[in-house]
Amino acid sequence: MSATFGYTGKILRVNLSTGAISIDDTMKYIDFIGGEGMAMKIMWDEVAAGTHPFAPENKIVFGTGPLCGSGVPCSGRTNITSLLPSNPYHAVSSSHMGGYFSVELKYAGWDMIVLEGRSPKPVWLRIEDDKIRLEDARWLWGKGIFDTMAMIGSQMGKEAQVAAIGQAGENQLNLAVIRTGSSHSAGGHGGILGSKNLKAIAVRGTGSVKIAADRHALMDADKYLMSLIGANNQHVVPRNPQPWAEFTSPTSRWLAKKGLYWGAANPPVETGECYPEDMQSVGLRTQKAIMDLGPVAEKYTVRMGGCAHCPIRCHSQVNIPQLEQYGVDTNVSNTCMGFFSPAGIMINGMPDKPGMEKGEGAMIGRALGAKLADDYGMWCNYGQIGRDVMYAYSTGIFKKVLPAAEYASIPWDKLESGDPAFLIDFYDRVANKKGELWHIADGSYWLAKRWNFGEDYWNDYKYKLWSKLGFPVHHSNEASGQVGALISCFSNRDAQNHSHMNFIQAGLPINLLKEIAAEEWGSPDAIDDIKNYKPMNEGKAKFVKWSLTRSLLHNSLTLCNWMWPMTTSPLKARGYRGDTALEAKFYSLVTGIEKSKEDLDRDSERAFTLFRALTVRAMKTADMRNEHDQTTAWVVTAEKGKDGKDIQPFTPGTDRMTQADMELGRTLVYKEFGWDQKTGAPTRATLEALGLGDVANGLASAGLLPA
Amino acid sequence: MMGTTNDAAQDTSNQKTQTRRDFLKITGVGLAGAFAAAALGCISVDTRDGRKLKAWRTSSGAIVHDPNLCVGCRRCETACTVRNDGKASAYISRIKVARNFNYGAAGVTAAYAVADGQQGNFRLVGETCRQCSHPACGDACPVGAITADKKTGARVVDAKRCVGCGACEDACPWGMATVDPETKKSTKCLLCDGDPSCAKTCPTGALAFYPWEEAEALLFGTDATSGATAVSGASA
Repeated sequence: MSATFGYTGKILRVNLSTGAISIDDTMKYIDFIGGEGMAMKIMWDEVAAGTHPFAPENKIVFGTGPLCGSGVPCSGRTNITSLLPSNPYHAVSSSHMGGYFSVELKYAGWDMIVLEGRSPKPVWLRIEDDKIRLEDARWLWGKGIFDTMAMIGSQMGKEAQVAAIGQAGENQLNLAVIRTGSSHSAGGHGGILGSKNLKAIAVRGTGSVKIAADRHALMDADKYLMSLIGANNQHVVPRNPQPWAEFTSPTSRWLAKKGLYWGAANPPVETGECYPEDMQSVGLRTQKAIMDLGPVAEKYTVRMGGCAHCPIRCHSQVNIPQLEQYGVDTNVSNTCMGFFSPAGIMINGMPDKPGMEKGEGAMIGRALGAKLADDYGMWCNYGQIGRDVMYAYSTGIFKKVLPAAEYASIPWDKLESGDPAFLIDFYDRVANKKGELWHIADGSYWLAKRWNFGEDYWNDYKYKLWSKLGFPVHHSNEASGQVGALISCFSNRDAQNHSHMNFIQAGLPINLLKEIAAEEWGSPDAIDDIKNYKPMNEGKAKFVKWSLTRSLLHNSLTLCNWMWPMTTSPLKARGYRGDTALEAKFYSLVTGIEKSKEDLDRDSERAFTLFRALTVRAMKTADMRNEHDQTTAWVVTAEKGKDGKDIQPFTPGTDRMTQADMELGRTLVYKEFGWDQKTGAPTRATLEALGLGDVANGLASAGLLPA
Repeated sequence: MMGTTNDAAQDTSNQKTQTRRDFLKITGVGLAGAFAAAALGCISVDTRDGRKLKAWRTSSGAIVHDPNLCVGCRRCETACTVRNDGKASAYISRIKVARNFNYGAAGVTAAYAVADGQQGNFRLVGETCRQCSHPACGDACPVGAITADKKTGARVVDAKRCVGCGACEDACPWGMATVDPETKKSTKCLLCDGDPSCAKTCPTGALAFYPWEEAEALLFGTDATSGATAVSGASA
């Protein structure tokens, strides 16, 4: 293996059945960029269709990218790719986590880890630079993730970065996470580590990521990027009026203002005015705790945390002494859904008890649930688990499907009254696979079958199921109409895509966003004003394709798609333009492999088309349009206005789509990708043009190439 | 060269020789030696009672980390190593945030959930080079590779002379000097020619350069006799 820049050049392969450890060459996968892209290639080549996710033959790939560890802002993410247990076809999918794990892995000298087989006994994988060992995990098995990390740290050294599963993963729940650090979870693949008898991977790296370019060139690029960066989700406009700001936006995550504090810091830290040019206040822009936990959380906020090499801090780190009464630690870190999904399980809310401040009850409950789910390693299917509880409870299904004794033993009174202590009981039963209730963690598709959910479960908007494949909305039709709606149609789980979200929520006026859209996707009509959507057009299709491929690009480089791409900036002098060629600029500087924006777009398209081929192969049909890409019915059903009448689609006030328009949308997106416009499957011509001739042959031999 | 201007770092008014008491005992060196010390940053002399003595020019200041403001992004570590080593690394970073990141300086304890670190109370204890007035690293170096930088007074490693023996790493009471496993050369804070890369990159201002008097008070306490040797008990 030759010397490499950005890439370490080495992939670690571990066969858990035999204990064999080997080294593979990263550079043979270079056409797929890194992380998620390379993992798609490995899954295509090495895991046969029809393999069960929990079978030893399944592989799981932990991937970093060439920018990870280089210090490029927001480059701390880890991509995890494998068969997805919650998916009806066990189709390949990815989960991602932030934190510091991937950076440590790079510094240990590894771009990726590929695991296969099943260990005869519980083990954990110890990586200290080039020293690799499988360690006995008998004392860790059965433990929560926090204690697991501490026990490994006590053996390996306090610097070790650990990715681990909790009881949920050990018990091979479909809804289990792999977690690293204080609060970084990759949802959906925890059970696969459990099936392999692998409790954790721990890494210590004393090496480096080599930079190809002159150091000053990289430092200059960093400085330039930092001038364009906004707040969390690349919101470039503050929520509150600031002396420097021309615009404000009520949904902006640029929350800092005078008088808003990290209240539990000692002394309290004021977030302040955060002038865009002030590089020493970038990390104060996002006071996320007051979004995650409500305004009451300000005084409990110790600081904002986040991931390696990211100046934007989006993890709320709070100390809530009231948690002691529930027997858990008072320090809790998480972000977004980590806090919202426990609140979703508490279907009647969590009202304030007498003497509490406004919102304190909900804050305590959210933090308690986040801590419990993070310790057990439970996944929430992007918040769907709460709506599944709501459905099963409100329809009386729990009473029907749970054995009488089990039903009677569940403290439903706590759920009814909104006592957060319900969560303690709930997570214990589910993560520890007790009774029948734990099947709530099968994921929507399997659960609906097992418990015989009605069609209303899929069709009623309030359950927010996006696809009969069993996943919910995640910045779908409510996120720029067809753009978000179509993005959500191409994945095998919730879309996890922020390429579009960051742009449409940047906080800028719609006319300005339309100008930028015209520059990026060839038409101002690629974006409509919120809830005033117009029928499908080619600009939207280009925006959809760009969003899908950019997200995959970020998961391959690895950059955070919750910050990147830098489509806009807070700079009035630039007309609020960002720079969407920055990924390519950093790629070229760090790796020394010169790539333009178009080159990387092409590479991403190759990897995304391979992902599509993997889905075709898993589902054993080329008819993606009808078998994969459809939505649930509510998406294309007119919603009722306050007057009880249907709000006509494509009129102000609704974000519902129509079936015909969505079908046109699918056609236009297929066309952008060069896929078969009837079925949405990749064609031989497109596969060959992307250098995927072997994939075309594979699909052809299975009869899965479109005519 | 990298460095641009930084007013605090360029203020040399308080650079003074810290070892006046020892200087009084020096024989056979006199004023010429003192001037040499000022020019070279440090000088080794024999005292009247036969001891070897190294006299160091005081650093212009040092970088101080604020655990209350730090968000743990560790951009300082890559800012340090990209600028000074042309590669990104945590281990050889001259500002050390990673090592106390998870569990604080004490490491894993039974009370980790309430102790320092991201797995506990979230407090982030970064460590910076104190640019000690009697730097144990420099005193320990067998080849004289560590001297006081002419411009900043920082105790800097001359990579050409460094033999990678690790004596500085062993000697530093704060564990700051680190031999790069890849180059076998010692790395320690060099104050980036007066414009520290880590502080510039810190997104919350948790890292800042302080002139010596302030840095000494912050790092050692207001009444301290500063310097590594003061702590190790070897100072006069």
